[in-house]
Amino acid sequence: MDYTISSVAPIVLLPFFAFVINAFLARKGGKATIAAVFLSCAAIAGSSVYAFRIFKDFVWGNYATNYHIHKFFTWFDLNGGGQEFTVNMGIYIDNMAAVMLLMVTVVATMIHIFSTYYMKDDMHYGRNGRFFVYMSLFTSAMLGLVLSDNLFSVFIFWELMGFCSYSLIGFYYEKEKTGNANVKAFMTTRVGDVFFLLGIVAIWTAIGSVGFVDIYNAVDSGLFTSTKVLGMPLATFAGLCIFMGTIGKSAQFPLNVWLPDAMNGPTPCSALIHAATMVAAGVYLSLRIYPLLEVGELTTFVAYIGGITAFGAATIALVQTDFKAVLAFSTISQLGYMVLGVGVGSYNAAFMHLITHAIFKACLFLSAGSVIHSLHDHHTHQHVQEMPRMGGLRHKMKYTWIAMWCCTLAIAGIPFFSGFVSKDRILGDALVAATHNPVMAVPAALGFLGALLTAFYMCRMMFLAFHGEPRDKEVYDHTHEEKLSWNRNAPLLFLSIFTLGVWFSGSLTGQGLVKVADYKNGKYEWFQTLIEAPKKGNFENYKREAFGNTDSRVKDSFEMTKYDKQHGLSEAEYHHVHKWHVIGAIASIIIAFSGVFIAAMMYLWKKWDPGFWVKTFNRYYRTLQNKYYMDELYIKGMIQGMLLPFNNLLAKLDMGIYDRFVVDGSAVATKFVMKIANWFDNLFVDTIMVDGTGASVKFFNLVLRTFQSGKIQFYFIMIILVLFGYILAL
Amino acid sequence: MISLNGYLIISFCLFLAGMTVMIARKNIIAILLGVELILNAAALNFAAYTRFVNQNLDGHVMSLFIIVIAAAEAAVGLAIVIRFFQIKETIHIDDATELQS
Repeated sequence: MDYTISSVAPIVLLPFFAFVINAFLARKGGKATIAAVFLSCAAIAGSSVYAFRIFKDFVWGNYATNYHIHKFFTWFDLNGGGQEFTVNMGIYIDNMAAVMLLMVTVVATMIHIFSTYYMKDDMHYGRNGRFFVYMSLFTSAMLGLVLSDNLFSVFIFWELMGFCSYSLIGFYYEKEKTGNANVKAFMTTRVGDVFFLLGIVAIWTAIGSVGFVDIYNAVDSGLFTSTKVLGMPLATFAGLCIFMGTIGKSAQFPLNVWLPDAMNGPTPCSALIHAATMVAAGVYLSLRIYPLLEVGELTTFVAYIGGITAFGAATIALVQTDFKAVLAFSTISQLGYMVLGVGVGSYNAAFMHLITHAIFKACLFLSAGSVIHSLHDHHTHQHVQEMPRMGGLRHKMKYTWIAMWCCTLAIAGIPFFSGFVSKDRILGDALVAATHNPVMAVPAALGFLGALLTAFYMCRMMFLAFHGEPRDKEVYDHTHEEKLSWNRNAPLLFLSIFTLGVWFSGSLTGQGLVKVADYKNGKYEWFQTLIEAPKKGNFENYKREAFGNTDSRVKDSFEMTKYDKQHGLSEAEYHHVHKWHVIGAIASIIIAFSGVFIAAMMYLWKKWDPGFWVKTFNRYYRTLQNKYYMDELYIKGMIQGMLLPFNNLLAKLDMGIYDRFVVDGSAVATKFVMKIANWFDNLFVDTIMVDGTGASVKFFNLVLRTFQSGKIQFYFIMIILVLFGYILAL
Repeated sequence: MISLNGYLIISFCLFLAGMTVMIARKNIIAILLGVELILNAAALNFAAYTRFVNQNLDGHVMSLFIIVIAAAEAAVGLAIVIRFFQIKETIHIDDATELQS
């Protein structure tokens, strides 16, 4: 397959053009809105076809870890005066990007299809179209980010996504809560973005390029460790700054406050933000700059952030009663696992968790949307989101129930589901890392504890919503039976198919290279074979080409990557790693099942009373319900404690110094200058020059007039006098 | 024998007399008389210089020219004076300050 511009660009451009056209169509209402909705869905479906072609080429066609496509064009060129400033834009596709592209497009397609059902009620307000406008831009920005070959274009798409999430979270802008939520999301991620931009600038000044491949090469040549910024190696500084971007975007520990509020938007947009696009971008970025994190010795820091987030968010999710809030906190928690995976060095497991999580979390959110959309309070005319008012819903909505259970089992880490495959691997690697470095024991332990909590709160949510007796009879009775429909259940069921672990750990390629049953012979999963952290050796086939050139790579020269049994480790090391992986796997299976069991005891069989625990640990319960008071901390500590005084100081500076001295002072100075100018004008210009000219003319007129008397004798005297004067002068 | 200086003194006296008349008198006809005196002083000068300096007829010819011109001038001048008198009913020089009638 030739990677020309016409085979890659449509992935980004189809949704983008849908956005542009819809921006004009959407406001019209009526048939135009229907056309806009159709256009958006068709565009994302079309781009998923293109993504699938690339995926096919990478996974079935080449099947090598070191296969890269890097095409570029010069965006602008400002060379001259000894300054070099060229910005290249381009695409960089490796296996990770290929997998990511397929995931994003397929999940986004499913979300688009589901949205046609969910947003139907907003149709007659003409809002439906607006929703799809943002969805298209959102998806196109994410796809652009995945394809980007440099940090700069990543940043552009990153900010575009920030804007789209802002618009979508604030979709119901007439509610004050929603308006606050989108501002909060925008401002919180902005904190990370500032650091991200700082990191980009730091890298640019040091190596003169922000292309990923240039960064990897510079890492290999030691440029990142030899250059010092603020007394630390550039790798540490830049890695930290860019990872701050990840913290903001992927809602990691200090900046996690925006994601729970993000559920104020329509549920499909939550699905898009939580699964395919927004938060995935942060983790994707930190995977892209993984060599920086490694060289900059930030892995411990990253692992701690991940571990704290994974555990902390899971504890908050325990006590939430809002259906979507549980899912929101579970997203933060799972993102914590991904970051933990990055931190403990399990590159491909972190990425696999990103993919598996995107699929099951999209499905979970869509299912939540399906549930919420059906439950309607006839007194307040609002959708019901509170779990205490649900219960027994499995009789009413069978398909949603099935899909949601699949996803719940996946996220809980039950074997044979995708979440187990990825999370277990992260936890296993965390254990291995802990044996190498005791400091890592804390994040690893937090990860295991978080896994227990995950299984518990997800099953709690399921039992509360779908099982038992209906707690709010009225709501239950008004809920319609679910009928199989293409835009409500089909996306859910389609996504729930991919929550099975076999897709990620089994033989998908049919090349005999990897088989799930052939574990013993050292043949592993396609995923683990293909996804590998960027390494120097991987760049021997790296080739930078301009668009339009046909692919000049000799494909036969690629070695099919045979997965060696020992990961390139020594025998002893391999056994050590394998041992801990097995221990981790067993532990996480036990943990997952015990989580499910506890939830079942509490909420399904009602053997244990959850109220007892609430009463016993009342203080902790309240802390959790208030999300560790983090919002209050930010408001009291950051906003009121720091920003407000700073704001006041600035106001004082503005009013007291700038206004008083500069603005008013300039007025006084102008007045003074004007006085002088006025005086000068009156005296010199008017009096001396204008009036003076008149006066002098008048004077000479007086003198000369006497000579023109017309008296001949006078003339004669004058003639005589002149004559005598002339004679005398001679 | 009267020397050249004698003629020149007489000529100068004539000239001064004519000039004085022209300046002092207000009657236009008197002024015209003054002009005649000045012209005659000039003619006397020419005649005297011719007689004493180069002894040819140039000065005499010039004197004759002057007498003719003086006659013509007197005729034109008197005509103007008569016309002036017809208009203004006076021949006082101070009334003749305007060029237009």
